[in-house]
Amino acid sequence: MDDSAAIEKCQNGDKEAFRFLVEVYQKQAVAHAVAILGNREDALDAVQEAFIDAFRAIKRFDIARRFYPWFYVLLRNRCFKMTAKKRPADNVEETEILAPQSNVSSEEALGLESALLALSVEDRELICLKYLDGLSYEELSERLEIPCGTVMSRLYYVRKQLQAKLIGKFH
Amino acid sequence: MKVMNEINCENTILAMMAVMDGEEIFLSSEQTTAHLEQCENCRREFEQMQNTDGFLNKQTRRGQDADLWSAIEKRIDAQTETASLIGWKMFLPLGAFLVAFKFLEMMPERDFGLLFKFVPLVFVVVLFVFLKENPFKINTELGLEEVKI
Repeated sequence: MDDSAAIEKCQNGDKEAFRFLVEVYQKQAVAHAVAILGNREDALDAVQEAFIDAFRAIKRFDIARRFYPWFYVLLRNRCFKMTAKKRPADNVEETEILAPQSNVSSEEALGLESALLALSVEDRELICLKYLDGLSYEELSERLEIPCGTVMSRLYYVRKQLQAKLIGKFH
Repeated sequence: MKVMNEINCENTILAMMAVMDGEEIFLSSEQTTAHLEQCENCRREFEQMQNTDGFLNKQTRRGQDADLWSAIEKRIDAQTETASLIGWKMFLPLGAFLVAFKFLEMMPERDFGLLFKFVPLVFVVVLFVFLKENPFKINTELGLEEVKI
């Protein structure tokens, strides 16, 4: 079954078809939510809520479009609502956003993770989508619903902020 | 893509950043190179940016295990159950109550006092609370109608 077949079935009330979509996209969604929220526990809640929102709204989904970018809008709405209530922990003991790398020391990885967590939610989301998902300016613009020029200037300022935080941590 | 005509520090750095990101930009490499050669600040800033970029490029997203279907299924089932309860039949008692209330109100030479007038309002609020819908904020929380599909 592919996405559009599953969505078509969902639109006719097929719950099993929705299960297919959940199983395909849940890991990716949790990883994105962790990047926004900074912790896995809240991310799981946000993803669950976003899938419920998607199930409710799927009848209005245009089958010609891709599922995940549409779902991502619902997911970030949920995450942003949760971040309004909570803020990420200051002390990072383990990386939740970044995967351990053989060529990066754990100290550097923890430093980068805490620098990411010190950014605003929107900035962290942007930088994670850029570097961890490798999205182009055009894709970022589509995903975040902002013009390409704004993507560029925001990336510039976020990089500068992150640079300053990293210099503060490692020098 | 961004059209840039003016060669200044900001535009040069933005152009260099876009080139570093593999994006197209309408500022010739001769123009940026010429600016970088004469501007030490831009050279230093671009060098720092490249270092940060190199460091960030080494990173990957941590894989996340998740099996949310059973929890999601429970929620969907619960909602379907509630939705079937919140059919038009739920509003029958409300209608009957309001009609009865109106008849009582219309009875001649009977004054039930000011509080009596608020009874329907209280009844409606209680009904909405029971249905877990705030009568004043219905569907404003998600704004799903506004989602661009």
